[in-house]
Amino acid sequence: MREFFKFFDKFTFLTLLALVFTGIALIYSATYTSEQSNFTKQLLWLFVAVVAFFVVFKIKTEILFNFSFLFYVILVVILVMQIGAGRIISGTKSWIKMGFFYIQVSEFIKIPLALFLAKTLTKFSIIDWRSFIKLMIILGIPFVLIALQPDMGTAFMLTSFMIFAIILKKIRPVIVIFTLVVVIIGALGTWNYVLKPYQQDRIISFLNPEKYRQSTGYQIIQSKIAVGSGGLAGKGYLNGTQSQYKFLPTRHTDFIVSVLGEEFGFLGISFLFLLFFILFYRQFNVKPETDEEFYYVYLFNGLILFQFLVDFLMSIGFFPVMGVPLPFVSYGGSSLLAFFIGEAIIFKIKLNNFLNEF
Amino acid sequence: MYIEKRKLSQHEIERISIVINIFLIALFIFLLFAFWNVQILKNQYYTDLATSNIRKEIEIKAPRGLILDRKRRRLSENKINFNLFLTREYSRNMNRTVKTAAKITGMGPDEIKKAIDKYKGYPKAYAIPIRKDLPLGKVIYIESRSDELPEFEINIEPARAYPYKEMASHILGYISELTAEELVEKKGYKLGDLIGKSGIEKIYESSLRGTGGVRTVVKDNLGKVREVLDEENPTIGGSVILTIDLELQEYIEELFKEHNGTVGVVDLKTGGMLAMVSKPNFNPEFFSGPLERDKWLALINDPAKPLHNKFLQGLYLPGSVFKIVMALTALEEKAVDTSTVSTCFGRVKVYNRYFHCWKRSGHGNMNIYDALKESCNVYFYRLGKKLDIDVIAKYAQMLGLGRKTQMDLPNEKKGLFPTKEWKLRELKQKWFPGETVSVAIGGGMMNVTPAQVLTMISTVALRGRVPRLHILDQIEKDGEVVERYKPEFRDAPIRKESFEIVIEGLHRVVNDGGTGRAAKIDGLDICGKTGTQLILSLENPNYKQLVKQKRFMPHSWFASFAPRDNPEIAMVVFVENGGDAGAIAAPIAKKIYRKVFQ
Repeated sequence: MREFFKFFDKFTFLTLLALVFTGIALIYSATYTSEQSNFTKQLLWLFVAVVAFFVVFKIKTEILFNFSFLFYVILVVILVMQIGAGRIISGTKSWIKMGFFYIQVSEFIKIPLALFLAKTLTKFSIIDWRSFIKLMIILGIPFVLIALQPDMGTAFMLTSFMIFAIILKKIRPVIVIFTLVVVIIGALGTWNYVLKPYQQDRIISFLNPEKYRQSTGYQIIQSKIAVGSGGLAGKGYLNGTQSQYKFLPTRHTDFIVSVLGEEFGFLGISFLFLLFFILFYRQFNVKPETDEEFYYVYLFNGLILFQFLVDFLMSIGFFPVMGVPLPFVSYGGSSLLAFFIGEAIIFKIKLNNFLNEF
Repeated sequence: MYIEKRKLSQHEIERISIVINIFLIALFIFLLFAFWNVQILKNQYYTDLATSNIRKEIEIKAPRGLILDRKRRRLSENKINFNLFLTREYSRNMNRTVKTAAKITGMGPDEIKKAIDKYKGYPKAYAIPIRKDLPLGKVIYIESRSDELPEFEINIEPARAYPYKEMASHILGYISELTAEELVEKKGYKLGDLIGKSGIEKIYESSLRGTGGVRTVVKDNLGKVREVLDEENPTIGGSVILTIDLELQEYIEELFKEHNGTVGVVDLKTGGMLAMVSKPNFNPEFFSGPLERDKWLALINDPAKPLHNKFLQGLYLPGSVFKIVMALTALEEKAVDTSTVSTCFGRVKVYNRYFHCWKRSGHGNMNIYDALKESCNVYFYRLGKKLDIDVIAKYAQMLGLGRKTQMDLPNEKKGLFPTKEWKLRELKQKWFPGETVSVAIGGGMMNVTPAQVLTMISTVALRGRVPRLHILDQIEKDGEVVERYKPEFRDAPIRKESFEIVIEGLHRVVNDGGTGRAAKIDGLDICGKTGTQLILSLENPNYKQLVKQKRFMPHSWFASFAPRDNPEIAMVVFVENGGDAGAIAAPIAKKIYRKVFQ
């Protein structure tokens, strides 16, 4: 126990808590004028997440990697079942009811997926055709299932795993070229035959929000106005006109950055940047004892980085509106719980790393 | 032990680590710059947009000025209309919204749907007017449930009220929404603004109209007002005080309950109208509300022309009232004097044609006094033979006939008094002397308004001073007089003696058993002249039967003033298809004099 306290990365854990509490404060502001009790729910979820964190933390990483395929299969099966019988909330079938809470399965599949991909990546030294196809199948099944819900944002986040896999592993150049061609053709095909017009609008409108002022461009314009009008120090807590007068859409989830930018200004944004920088710096620079741990650390951190980047860029109109929460900050129990569980594994890897060095 | 498990070399891991750290630093620097650009460099731009998002300047319409009578009784005032609007965008369920709207307004669901369908092409955020003038109870119902019924909005609008309804409607006029053409012409008006369309409301529009205020509010994304930041109050328009006496006006309108026609009573000291009645009339409030097509058509197609101000716009033959002008012309032109005697045999042959007197048996020997008293046609036929039409026209116009009175009400008719030159120009025909004979008894090609007849009789009363009729006394703003009407008179170059002779004749009409004897009031020397203007010619073979029908009954005139010396009041009474002037118009005049001098 003493060793635990000594080697447990308390500083990073406090950073995580700081992110969550910043988020809760922003959720409180974002839903201040509507009578929702989102921030108390988020506090409750934090409690659940911390408990889960330490439960997972107690488990040996080998066991997690060994069971990752089983978890992966179970969650894929649930996703398949959801396509048929999911409850539609906010236009998607991504939720299942667990007691009083709604659970978003697509958030949880990220963990066994990262574990299983990491395990798979250790098995080959270079990505050749065989291993490439194998990776694509592992990633492709949940991607397609989540995209069918339809939750393009969450599905899109999974592509970060592929990007990091390619960065981390040597790959045959021909596969890269082939992938690019397939992605381009696939994107065009998806655009024309799969995406619904409102989804197409969402993607284009970020390039020219003024043209889509009345529809999808509205969110981008209002978010930019919120962030831009925040200035250096912001309009003050609970004083953001864009959020308090409800010009900002989905402000307690996807656009929480805009609430921060409006009410706390550039200083508030910089503060959150600092917290995230600490998180990334400390969690990326880990010396794991196995390859699979190493890959897991990069894949999971990469996912957080990717989602963080999309959310911030989206708020100033640098990226299409994705509908993904900002990790640890946005409202959403499933997201919070999943990221805490994912982080618990990295903490455990770091602890092992310290213990082994002694 | 862990080294065995790992295929990646320490070197490789460190290399990747360095790359990711450089990447992280670069990424965060980029992010800081991106947000610096939006939040600091473009802050003003976005602040302005954020402000314009929530700030809205709402116009507060100014209450219109009041219209008051000479004793400051309100003829036209303001009330507040609560108008119901519906915005489709905020409706969660249109069917339910329509049902609710029907329940609130008491209108049928189909009616509501029809009202909404009119705005099909409009954006969904457009507030559709559903009903004007909602009762207060319903207003409270909606306002207290604004969260449940976000699609409904109450708009407060000052509206015009006329406490005496139809009374004096032709003086007051009405207001209604300005037309597309008016929107182009008039400065400072918006679509949907109300503007004076007739009467005082039109003539004194610029004084009556107040200055609008502005309320600056904070609204949310649904357009609901959350906070009032600033309020600049509107200022009420100026009060227009009229020369009209409400009691007299009411009294005369009551007398005209059964009649169509017009009455004008003028204060001879100023030319200010004490009463101006035109019957039938209309309710000006009809135009302030939503115009219903059927009712509107009924109003404009009514043969009695309720929208028509007969006093200023009705063109009629003056009939025997014109004999006043003939007498003055003849005296001035020395065609007759008081000693001239003319014998009436009931008819006279002029230019090989018989002209009849209204009294078939004839009046016998007539001098100018008796000719006026008895209204003897033959006497005046002979004057018509003696006098040139252009000379008569000169005097007629001098006395105010065939020219605008310049009274301060809109759309006055000019009328017509014929001359030789006019006939040649307009009809390309020579003037026939026989026509002058018809003109001599107020017939022929002449058209005058009752206002012109009133001007003429006033000029006689004032012995040659022609008053300009007016209805405005003064305009006040914030308790101060900003405009006061200055009485205007012009001179008619006619000798006093001629007036005195004619006045003696007019005095006999009423006080010496003449045609206007029914107007006689002891102690009040009323002077007047009757005019029974036939619709049918006496020569018509079916005259006796047809004249019993209302529409063929003669128009009934009585133009008069009182007292004879130092006259105070002049009056014209005109009853459409009233019948014999002595029996209809003169008794009405008597009642009015009694009311004025009681």
